[in-house]
Amino acid sequence: MIKRSFFTLTKPRLEYDLVEPDPKEPKQIPIPSNLTLLLNEPIDSTRQALIKKGDAVEKGEKLRLYNQSTEYTISPVTGTIDAIDAYSDDFGNTSTYLVIKNDQSQASQKEPITYDLKDDIASADEYFRTLPGAPPLKILASDDVKINTIVITCADMDLLSTTSQYITLKFLDDIKEGAKILKKITHVPKLCIIIPEGLNIQGGFDSIQVFKTSMEYPSNLPAMILKDHLSMILPAGKTPEDVGVSFISAEAVVSLANAYKTKSAGFEKILTVIGKQGTQYRVKATIGTPLHKILNAFSVHINEQDRIVIGGPMKGFATYTRHHPVQPDMDTVMIQDRDIIPELSDNPCVNCGKCIRICPVNVPVNVLVRYLEADQYEEAADRYDLESCIECGLCAYTCTARIPLYQYIRLGKHELFKLRALETAND
Amino acid sequence: MTNNKLTVSHAPFWHDGDSLFQMNLNIMIATLPAVIFGIIQFGAPAVGVLALSLSSAMVWELILNIISKKKISIGDLDSAVIGLLFGMMLPATSPWWLVVIGTFVAVVIGKMIFGGIGANPFNPALVGMAFLMLSWKVFFDFDAAYINYEFDFTALAPLAALKFQGASEVAGLFSTGDLIMGKQVGAIGSTFGLGLIIGGIYLILRGYIRWEIPVSFIAGIIITALAFKMANPDTYAGPMLHLFSGYTLIGAFFLATENSSSPVNRIPMLIYGFFAALMIILMRNIGAYADGTILAILLLNLVNPLIDTIRPKALGKGVNNA
Repeated sequence: MIKRSFFTLTKPRLEYDLVEPDPKEPKQIPIPSNLTLLLNEPIDSTRQALIKKGDAVEKGEKLRLYNQSTEYTISPVTGTIDAIDAYSDDFGNTSTYLVIKNDQSQASQKEPITYDLKDDIASADEYFRTLPGAPPLKILASDDVKINTIVITCADMDLLSTTSQYITLKFLDDIKEGAKILKKITHVPKLCIIIPEGLNIQGGFDSIQVFKTSMEYPSNLPAMILKDHLSMILPAGKTPEDVGVSFISAEAVVSLANAYKTKSAGFEKILTVIGKQGTQYRVKATIGTPLHKILNAFSVHINEQDRIVIGGPMKGFATYTRHHPVQPDMDTVMIQDRDIIPELSDNPCVNCGKCIRICPVNVPVNVLVRYLEADQYEEAADRYDLESCIECGLCAYTCTARIPLYQYIRLGKHELFKLRALETAND
Repeated sequence: MTNNKLTVSHAPFWHDGDSLFQMNLNIMIATLPAVIFGIIQFGAPAVGVLALSLSSAMVWELILNIISKKKISIGDLDSAVIGLLFGMMLPATSPWWLVVIGTFVAVVIGKMIFGGIGANPFNPALVGMAFLMLSWKVFFDFDAAYINYEFDFTALAPLAALKFQGASEVAGLFSTGDLIMGKQVGAIGSTFGLGLIIGGIYLILRGYIRWEIPVSFIAGIIITALAFKMANPDTYAGPMLHLFSGYTLIGAFFLATENSSSPVNRIPMLIYGFFAALMIILMRNIGAYADGTILAILLLNLVNPLIDTIRPKALGKGVNNA
């Protein structure tokens, strides 16, 4: 953990980690006997499901809950469905998880199903949403959203993570290939790529515009990239997609290139695992692998009250189970020992102003938090810039009173959306 | 495989390690040069006043915690800082009841009834001081307070002398060097200018006070005092006398910078510091009080919420073009 330095006349500086110059190959985790897949659709017990416990599935088979479902997942192994149940995330959104029992006898050797692909975005969206790196194909294929710029991010979003940089170093040709495919299937007029300024890339990207991002957190977050490199100011409360910009990770581009080459889906996700002492390991694991399999491979022991963080230290989320599966968009797993978990408090804001100094987008956090504590969400959004927050977490990192500011802001946004949805429903 | 429970919480999972305790402890450390000098200068009575002030402030908060059935909050040292700063502003000969009443007003009326730490609209120590100064004016006559002391320097409170005798009379009495080195009569913790500056710079470097406030405050003192002196050098003293006497420096580094009653945005901080200093010189030169620091800072505390609305526009606010 990066502590406050003794002299802090100005705001603290947090820097992204740079991948080591000559990275080792990732450690391959064998395919486990049970894999868990998440399906972003809640179970509806009144409808007849297409899949049920005991069904045989093939490697590469597309699994949907119902006939009209638009959400799907792809089975990474050949085997049988062992369980289907409801899963709810930290904001209470429900989805479904499937446990697939791996048929050990033939699974690992077997080639996945090949698809009948056409060179258009609808066809890619049909099969490739859950590729490693989670390409945003659903948005790209949607008729409602008009995307005119695609940004390939070879920089990692959070501190400590080096997954995207590693992929950029190792699979540069695949990124170029994937970019061509993206251009061909989406017909977007503008394609650009962002690379951390510290990363040395051999050779260039012929026709793609390259932007070098600063190593200082949070310059890799979408809103900051729009502002610094695309000269666009993201309006408060809007997503980059709303203004026609879609972000796709380097890994997703590589997986797309491979998927088009083999006409089948890939399932191997590259992860950065950070142990309790801060040691970094790089792992290649099949999507659906429970995290404890990975941790066991490096003999990271999880004790009572330790914390497993998925995503990085600033923006990630903590899971409550060691069985949490590897997901397509999971770049980093960080383990924190119970002794170093920082204590939070219920102190009120003392107005020390550290959050104001560190906020990259000038949100008046000190006043905002007073409104959020009092559940004044509309007021917070109208007058105190709740929706301008880009969710970098720096205010809570630096808070002297140790208020969970980032969580207050996330909750505030969540409640605000609920309020607005209610208002629209009433109208 | 064991299924032990994990800690689940929300991002960010790191913290810079700072806390209210750390912040207040550092403020107390920063007062040490001035406090130790004051104890050497004024002897055992100074120790008594400081100890009583600090402890009674904490006891008042503890009592309020118990009465209001809230979590015991003295551990964050906030009232210790209030008590310490309050003690530093008193003469060493203050009677015990004056100290206890003062800290009662400071902690209970200045801070706790507004909701405790972070909720006070005024600097609590200054609320206590203002109360005492208006109620028992006689105890703040520093010349009378130290009547039984023997000093090897001019035993006159500079600002009182200035007020009642005029700038031309006191011109030769106080050299700037003497004032900086604490060779003056005054409150326990406010005479040693050099010590206060060292403490203030320490706090600025550690990031516990915002540099804009003391810098604009000192600039305000110098500019305003200079303007008065240039207008009428016989009546008004120069900036150095104002800067190194009375409560000016303790005000600049420790009182005006109190977190919850001062602004946090840059331009408001500059305005706040400058105008607090401007008010001080106005009160000293054309007002009724010898030293207006207490009331001037309280006045600026009052307008703080108003000026702190001057702030940069947040990203994407009011943009509809994209």
